[in-house]
Amino acid sequence: MREPNAPSRLRGLAWVLAALAAAVGPHVPHLPAWVTLLLLAVCAWRWTADLRGTRLAPLPLRVVVVLVSTVAIFGTYRTLNGIEAGTAFLVLMAAAKLLETRTSRDLTVIVFIGWFLLYAALLREQSLSQLPWLLGSTFLTAVALMRVHASSAQAPAGHIVRRTLRLLLLAAPLALLLFLLFPRLPGPFWGIDSRTEARTGLDDEMTPGDVSDLSASGEVAFRVRFFGATPPPEQRYWRGPVLHEFDGRSWRRPSAQAFPQPQVTFRGPGIRYRITLQPHARRWVLALDLPATWPEREITQSFDLTLLSARPINNVAAFDLTSHMDFTAGASLAASMRRKDLALPLDGTNARSVALGRELATRHAGNPRAIVGELLTMFRQQPFVYTMQPPLLADNAVDEFLFDTRKGFCEHYASAFTVVMRAAGVPARVVTGYQGGEFNPFGGYLIVRQSDAHAWSEVWLEGRGWSRVDPTAAVAPERIQGSLIDAVAEDEPVPGRLRDASPLWLQVELGWDAVNDIWNQRVVRFDAQSQFDLLDRLGVDDPDWRALGLGLAGSLAVFFVVLSTYLAWRYRPPPRDWPGRLHDVVVARLRKRGLTPGPAESPVAFIERAEQACPDLARPLGDIRKLYAALRYGPSPRIDDLQRLKHAVNSLRV
Amino acid sequence: MRRWLRYLRARIERRAGAWIRRRQGADTDPVELRRQRIYILPTRLGVAYGAMLCAMLLGGMNYNNNLGLGLTFLLVSLGLVTMHHAHGTLAGVRLRLLEAVPGFVGGEVRFRLLLEHSSNVARPALEIGFARAESGNVTTDLPPRGSSDATLVLPAQRRGRVALERFIVSTSHPFGLFRAWAVVHPAYSAIAWPRPAERAMPPPLIATDTGGAQTGAIGAEDFAGLRPFQAGDSLRRVAWKAYARGQGLYTKQFAGTDVVSHVFDYESLAGLPAESRLEQLCRWVLDAQERGEAFALRLPGTSIDTNVGPAHRERCLNALALFEVREAARA
Repeated sequence: MREPNAPSRLRGLAWVLAALAAAVGPHVPHLPAWVTLLLLAVCAWRWTADLRGTRLAPLPLRVVVVLVSTVAIFGTYRTLNGIEAGTAFLVLMAAAKLLETRTSRDLTVIVFIGWFLLYAALLREQSLSQLPWLLGSTFLTAVALMRVHASSAQAPAGHIVRRTLRLLLLAAPLALLLFLLFPRLPGPFWGIDSRTEARTGLDDEMTPGDVSDLSASGEVAFRVRFFGATPPPEQRYWRGPVLHEFDGRSWRRPSAQAFPQPQVTFRGPGIRYRITLQPHARRWVLALDLPATWPEREITQSFDLTLLSARPINNVAAFDLTSHMDFTAGASLAASMRRKDLALPLDGTNARSVALGRELATRHAGNPRAIVGELLTMFRQQPFVYTMQPPLLADNAVDEFLFDTRKGFCEHYASAFTVVMRAAGVPARVVTGYQGGEFNPFGGYLIVRQSDAHAWSEVWLEGRGWSRVDPTAAVAPERIQGSLIDAVAEDEPVPGRLRDASPLWLQVELGWDAVNDIWNQRVVRFDAQSQFDLLDRLGVDDPDWRALGLGLAGSLAVFFVVLSTYLAWRYRPPPRDWPGRLHDVVVARLRKRGLTPGPAESPVAFIERAEQACPDLARPLGDIRKLYAALRYGPSPRIDDLQRLKHAVNSLRV
Repeated sequence: MRRWLRYLRARIERRAGAWIRRRQGADTDPVELRRQRIYILPTRLGVAYGAMLCAMLLGGMNYNNNLGLGLTFLLVSLGLVTMHHAHGTLAGVRLRLLEAVPGFVGGEVRFRLLLEHSSNVARPALEIGFARAESGNVTTDLPPRGSSDATLVLPAQRRGRVALERFIVSTSHPFGLFRAWAVVHPAYSAIAWPRPAERAMPPPLIATDTGGAQTGAIGAEDFAGLRPFQAGDSLRRVAWKAYARGQGLYTKQFAGTDVVSHVFDYESLAGLPAESRLEQLCRWVLDAQERGEAFALRLPGTSIDTNVGPAHRERCLNALALFEVREAARA
């Protein structure tokens, strides 16, 4: 039952709702469930209200909805800033706006919110796989806007879709020009909210089970292109955060970092490469053990030799680095550092491991190399198992692993090894990072995935400095030589089993990864340097900002001229037929005699008047008039009439 | 604040209107909307769209997010393309007056306009009215190579000619982000007839004519002969008997109608103010026409002979409407 004064059905509502759904879609996994449900409920309610013509929500209710949901968002996120809270807030605003949509203007506002949501999704993620969705949603939103502003309700959907498609195709070249030439200023201009969401990747804390969880993900962590030979797998240790503090169970990075920078000397040839990191929302830059040079403006090195970017890596980022395999890091060890890397919890946890360490120390008279060797032999000879699914460990995690379960993943081995070393008086620390990587022959680069995540130890040896010791290599050398799949039992949930089993699928995956790499390099990482390179390739000598601005202005001007010409051509009047054109010629000639046709004067009447006004032209004009009348109004105009008219007009001398 | 803004806006619009009037001069029928006389500005939605794009641009540069920038650039281009489309939709439309429909004072007069164009592309969502976004504005679509008509309504406030001094043809096709408009200053006018007086005074009955006294009059009483059937003749007057005899279609003609005839004289209403006299005459004319009676109208300086029919009625009403109208009122 339609109430009196109820708004009639709102034009384009269905399209707008569909566009909004498309724009919200990718946010759903990140939104609190109640926000999604609320939006769905409001959409359904608005749709039925439109069908039945029921009254819309009164103002107090809308105010209450907006206030309550704002408070709820604040309660959930403790802020209204940042992508997460901002997105949820936008979705709620769209829902609140839906409660009061009466006019095309309200619907347009919802369309704008839809575009903003698309934009927010891009701030979150810039992968190539998003592109079809992005283009589709933009198109759908544009169609919705076109539908809302079409004048008549009867315009068929096909027309609207085609018209919108034409607009977008016209807009595409300009968008491309702007993308290529709009100056990319090195940002950021204001602080970026550091409370970005958790992403897959290494953490600055390691608890047993963390790295094996990470290894269950087949996502790409980074890609590396070597400018030279690719080092063999067993040398591909990608160094990440170094963990010093142990509480009996977990390892952490120290909060205070006031330690002296160790002296590093490199020997042998350097390995040059470019590493392209997927965003991981942390500051560290993974580097081949051990990096020697890096872009100084963007990266600093910490006291434990981890590379740290100036800002959290929230976008795909690439760095040119050089590493050396042969080096001495920290020939002397500062006392504060030694104290830090010998510390063990004082509460007596893992007593058996500590006792093992002390026993090794006494047996080998404190010779660190012998202690390391003996512990590795123990790992190698005793029945230790390398597995992604180790049994759960209780309070004395290291003891239980080392003496009872003997089943563990790399973090268990690294943790136990480091604890025993510290108990034996050898300064030791846990290094997390990645190990190995898969070569992609299509792109000529190395793919390192989250499943390559790894943890190992570094011990400080007199005369050699910090040295890498990987206890996993003693237990499961296949892991270091090959990959995770080779090292664990067949029923374990390692990603990439399908890739391993089917060569065809492997080709497809590597091909797709190579395309993604190009996308990352060419589109996601397109920056000022790329713009200058582009201008350079187009033949601009020594390109600078001014050349870029000129190019932008010039191509904009060209675009607008082309667009105006196209539109003028599209709206052009149909060409005049031959009698009409010939009459125009006659009019142009008679203008010299001061004769112009009146606003309502027919061609025949005008020529007749001209005949009287110019008696000298009466004969030719009379012929022209008769021929014209015959062609226009005669019962059966003949082709040679047209020829004769052409001749008569051409021979008309004024 | 809001009042002040409204005042400012009205002032700007008046200034702009005057400038446009000076720039374009008066228009003659038919009016073609050429490119030079089409103005374009973003609508309120367009300004909001621009603000949104600025925010997107800043955010994209701040986060160095190329895909975000890409979306922004696509939307910028889309906005600019729709701007050109709004302009193109209007350019080349021709307008002419189809009919100026008169009305009584207190009612309204109407101007039926014909919109036409000769391009092969439809021009949707053309809006015609006196000001922007007014409820009385008419929206129409122009089909490819076709025409459509729109009616503008003006209130008839004073007797005489009601001039359509200016109107606006606009469109915010396709997205409502930009509004292109053209101001037309046509020389169109419609006539506002006097408001009919209340039915109080009986009409003066001057004469009753019968028979053929009225020369050439065709009536309904006496059979006067046959003439060949013409399209539009009443079927009741067809000589069916003659048709049945195979003599073809003929229409029966009659003469000698019983005609009541009035003479409505301005001077006979001495004692009333001038406008009231005209209103009274208007009432009589209407009533006589309704009853099918003939009448003549005498005004100082104008005299319309006895006659019947809608054309006669209109002639009389126009004479009443334009009686002693000061021409200055037209300006």
